[in-house]
Amino acid sequence: MQLNIRLRFPRAFTIISSFLMLTALAANAQYKISGTVIDDKNRPVKGANVYLDNTLDGGTTDSLGIFRFTTSEKGNQTIVASEVSHENAGLPIVIAGDMSGIVLHMKANKVRDLDVVTITAGSFDASNDKSKTVLKPLDIVTTAGANADVVKAIEMLPGTQQTGTDNGLFVRGGDASELAILVDEMVVQNAFFSGPPGVATRSRFGAFQYQGVSFSSGGYSARYGQALSGVLELNTTDMPDKSTVNMGINMAGIYASGTKKWKNSALDFGGGYNNLTPFYGLATTNFKFYDVPVGYTGNLRYVWKPNKDGILKVSANGSYTTSGIAIPNPYRGIVDTGINTLNPFARFGTDSAIDFQTRDQYYYTNASYRQMFKSKYSLYTAASYSLDSTRNSFGANTTNPVPIDEKDQRAQFRIEGKDYFTSRLNLMVGGEVQNFSISKEFTDTLREHFSETQLAGYTELEWTPINILAIRPGLRYEHSALLNTDHIAPRISMAVKTSSYSQVSLASGIFYQNPDNLYLLAGLRPGQQEAIHYIANWQYSRNDRILRIEGYYKQYKDLVLEKNDSIFDPNTYRIITPYTVVDNSGYGHAEGLELFYRDKKTVKNLDYWISYSYIDTKRKYANYPYEATPTFIANHNLNLVAKYFVDKWQTNFSATYSFASGRPYYNPEVPLNSQTFLNDRTPDFNNLALTVAYLHSFGKWFTVFYLSIDNITNQHNIFGYRYNYDATGAAYGSPNPIVPALYRSIFLGVNMSLTQFKKDEL
Amino acid sequence: MKKMILMGAMALTVLGAKAQDFKAPLEKTFTIFDTSQALDAKVEQANKLALIAKKWDGEWVTHYYVAFAKTVLAYMEKDANKRDAYLDDADKEREDAVSILKKDNDETYVLAAMIANSRMAVDPMNRWQKYGQLFTQNLESAKELNPDNPRMYYLQGTSKLFTPKAYGGGKKIALPYFEKAEALFEKEAATPAGHDITKPHWGKNHNEMFMAQCKQEDKE
Repeated sequence: MQLNIRLRFPRAFTIISSFLMLTALAANAQYKISGTVIDDKNRPVKGANVYLDNTLDGGTTDSLGIFRFTTSEKGNQTIVASEVSHENAGLPIVIAGDMSGIVLHMKANKVRDLDVVTITAGSFDASNDKSKTVLKPLDIVTTAGANADVVKAIEMLPGTQQTGTDNGLFVRGGDASELAILVDEMVVQNAFFSGPPGVATRSRFGAFQYQGVSFSSGGYSARYGQALSGVLELNTTDMPDKSTVNMGINMAGIYASGTKKWKNSALDFGGGYNNLTPFYGLATTNFKFYDVPVGYTGNLRYVWKPNKDGILKVSANGSYTTSGIAIPNPYRGIVDTGINTLNPFARFGTDSAIDFQTRDQYYYTNASYRQMFKSKYSLYTAASYSLDSTRNSFGANTTNPVPIDEKDQRAQFRIEGKDYFTSRLNLMVGGEVQNFSISKEFTDTLREHFSETQLAGYTELEWTPINILAIRPGLRYEHSALLNTDHIAPRISMAVKTSSYSQVSLASGIFYQNPDNLYLLAGLRPGQQEAIHYIANWQYSRNDRILRIEGYYKQYKDLVLEKNDSIFDPNTYRIITPYTVVDNSGYGHAEGLELFYRDKKTVKNLDYWISYSYIDTKRKYANYPYEATPTFIANHNLNLVAKYFVDKWQTNFSATYSFASGRPYYNPEVPLNSQTFLNDRTPDFNNLALTVAYLHSFGKWFTVFYLSIDNITNQHNIFGYRYNYDATGAAYGSPNPIVPALYRSIFLGVNMSLTQFKKDEL
Repeated sequence: MKKMILMGAMALTVLGAKAQDFKAPLEKTFTIFDTSQALDAKVEQANKLALIAKKWDGEWVTHYYVAFAKTVLAYMEKDANKRDAYLDDADKEREDAVSILKKDNDETYVLAAMIANSRMAVDPMNRWQKYGQLFTQNLESAKELNPDNPRMYYLQGTSKLFTPKAYGGGKKIALPYFEKAEALFEKEAATPAGHDITKPHWGKNHNEMFMAQCKQEDKE
C-alpha cells in the first residue's frame, strides 16, 4: 500500500498548491509525534520507518517498537509505517499539537513470490533458479555411488529401483522403457552408451552440462507423452558466464573442454578419450574384458542471445566406442531344432560364456530457440536428430559369429507458445512431430525394420488463483502413424498450501505408450498401452529441512501380452518372431508409499537425505503366463546419502548406503502355476559407496582431486538366477547367479579448470 | 482564473526551490549512513534515505542511494528471508533509478552487480552459479561504459577476498583489485565529481580498510 498525496494532484490543483506553499513558507511551530508500531501478534516492530507521508519528517522505531519525531506539519496528515518484512500501514491523523500514543498495526509481509505454492506431486526438481527445490544440480555430482552420472544419481531418490545389470530407470513398477529421457524437451533415444546384454553402462549425460534436472515419477505434464511411468528432463545450461578451460584425467580416460565467450554469444567445445584399462585393472571384474572398452567423444555447442529475452542453442555430439566382453550366454539352453530356425543364437546353446563385441557410433544434434515477447508471450521451437549405429558381434572370436547390426534414428520437432495473461494465469499450447526408425540385422536372412511417425498436440493451463492454491489442467492428443491409433490423454495436478511450511499436492492423468520396440521390429502391431496415475503428496519444508511423503496408485491397461499359454522363457533377450501372437490383453497395477527427508541444517556442513520407497505391484505382460511381480522390482528400497565438508581440509566426504529387498526370479524347478510363478526371491541388495573430493587452487587453476569407492564391503549382490537347460528343456544343476560386471571398484581422478585467464580484468 | 494561474506559478516556484533542496539532506543522510557502523544506526539512515526518495521521486540518484543502503543492510542482516526482502526493495529502487535515467549508467550496473553479490551471500552454496554470473555480467556492462569506475574493482576485490582460497579467492588474489581501485579512487577524489552527492563516489574508506587487511597477511 502506497499512500501518496501526489495522486490527488489532478483533483484539486489549487488546494495542493496552497498546501505546498503552506508547508514551504510557514514552517515555524514544531510538534512532537510519538507512538508504537506492533505486528498482528502484538509484538513490537523494530526498525520501522514511521513518517508523515510525502515529508521528510519521520523516525525509526526502537526495539520496543517506539518511534518519536518532530514535525512542523499540521492539519490532515497521513502517518505511515514501513518495514522490510511487513506490509506498509497508514493512519490518517490531524495534527494540532503534540501527539503521543499513536499505535500503528503492521501485518507480516504478504507472501513473497517465492512462497507461492508449487506443484510437487510426482516430481523432484533440481535447479539453481528456484529457491525451493529439493535438489541442486551440484548435489548430483557430489553424491557417492552416482559417479557423476545424472541418471545414476536419480536412483538415490524415491520411486526408483536399484540397478546393476541393466541400463535405465525403473520407476514405480515400470521397466526402463517406460521412462522417457528428454534434453531441452526433446526425446533422447539411446540415452546410454552401448554395451553387451547384462552389463550396465553409463548414461551419455555428464553432470555439468545441465542447469536443471527434473525427475517425474508420475503425473507429469501434458507436454510429454509416450512414457507409462515418468520423464526425466534435463535442461542444458544457457549462456556460460565466463570463458574457461577445463581438463581432467581419471582411471577411465582423459578429456579437455573449453568455452569461449563473447558479448552475446559463446562457443563450447570438448573432446575425450576413454580407456578403461586402469579402472578394470583395480576392480574385481566378474566378466572377462578381452577387449577393454575404449571410446572417443566430441562435442560442440553454440549459444547466441540475439536480444535480452531470446536464446538460441545449437549443439552437436558424437562418440565412438568399442568393447569386447565374455558374458554369460543369455541363450544357453536353446536347442537348435527346427523350431528355432529363426533364432540364429541357437547354435551357441551349449556354450556357458560367449564373446560379445560392440562397436557403436552415436551422433546427436539439437537446435532450440526460445523467445519472450514483452514479458507476455513466449515461443519455443526445437529440432533434434540422432543416429545410433551399432555393429555388434555375438560369439565374436568363434568361427561362426552372429553379427548384430542396428541403426536407430530419431528426428523430432516441437513448437510451443505460452501466453502469460497475468503472473498467475498462463496457457501453454504446443505440438510435436517425431519420426523414429530402427533397423536390425542379425544375419543376411534375418532383417527387421520399422519406422514410426507420431504427432501430438497439447495444451495446459497454469492457474494460481490465490497464493495458497495452484491448479494445472492439461490435455494431450497423440496419433501414431504406424499403429494408426488416436488417443486423448487428460492430465491434472494441483497444490494447496496447508500452512506456512507445508503443502498438499495431487496429480492424476492418463498416459499412453507404444508397444516395446521388440514387437514393432518383428512386424507385430498391437495397440497403445495405457497407465492411469493417482498421486498424493504432502511436503513440509522449513529452514533447510524437508520432509516429503507421497502415496500413489497406478493402473495398467492394454499392456502387450504374448499368447503362449503356461510356458515361460526367462531369457530377457529372447527372440520375438513375426509368428509370435500378441495382443493388448495385459494388465497390472502398482501402489506404494515413498518417503524423503533431507536435512542441511542440524549439523554445520553436513547434508544428508533418506529416501525410502515401498511398492506393491503385479502385472501380466510380455511373456508372463500369470500376473506376477516383475523381476526388476524390490518391494523395499532405501538410500541414505550423506555429505560432509571439512572447511579446514577443503575436502568433501560423501557416502551413500543403498538397500533393496530381494527381487523375484524364475525358478524352473518348481511346477509353473499362478502361485509359483516368480515367487522366489534373491537375497537382499546392499551397497556402500564413498567419495572423497579435495579442492585446491594451483595459482589460477581450480583443481579437484577425487577418489570414489563403490561397494566398499565387496558385497556379492545377486540380481537373479540363470538356469542350465538340457536338450528336453528341463533345468539341471545349480542355478548361476546373475551378477553385475563389477563388485568393489575404485575410481581416481583429477579435474582442473581455469576461468580467470582474462588479463584485462585488471 | 487569474488567481489560479498566479497560485500555480507560485507553487511551481516553490517546487523548483525544493527540487534543489534534496542534495543537502541527501548528502548529510548518506554520509551518516556510510560512516556509521551499527546496524540499527544504518537502518535509521536508510529509512531517512527512503523518505528523501519518496519526496524527490523524480531524481534517479535518490533511488540509487536507497537501493545501495538496502543492499548494505542485506549484507549485515542475519535473517535470510529479511535479507531477500531488503534485496527485493533494492531491486525495485534500482529499477526506479534506471527508468528515470531511461537506461543504465555505469553506477547502476555496479549497483546491480552489488545486489547480485548480496543475493549470493544469502545462500552461497546454492546461488553462486546464478548470481555469480549476474555479478560478472553487470560489471562487464559497467566497464564498457566507464573503465575507470573504481567501485567495479572494489567489488571484485571484496568478492575475491570472501571467496575461499580453494575456489580461487583469498587475500593475495584480492589485493591487486583493491590497489587498482585505490588508484582510481584517488583520481576520482581529485575531480569535482568526487565530491558531488549526485555522482555516486562511495567506497574509498572501505577499499582502504580491505586493502590493509590484505596486506597484513602478506607480512605473516
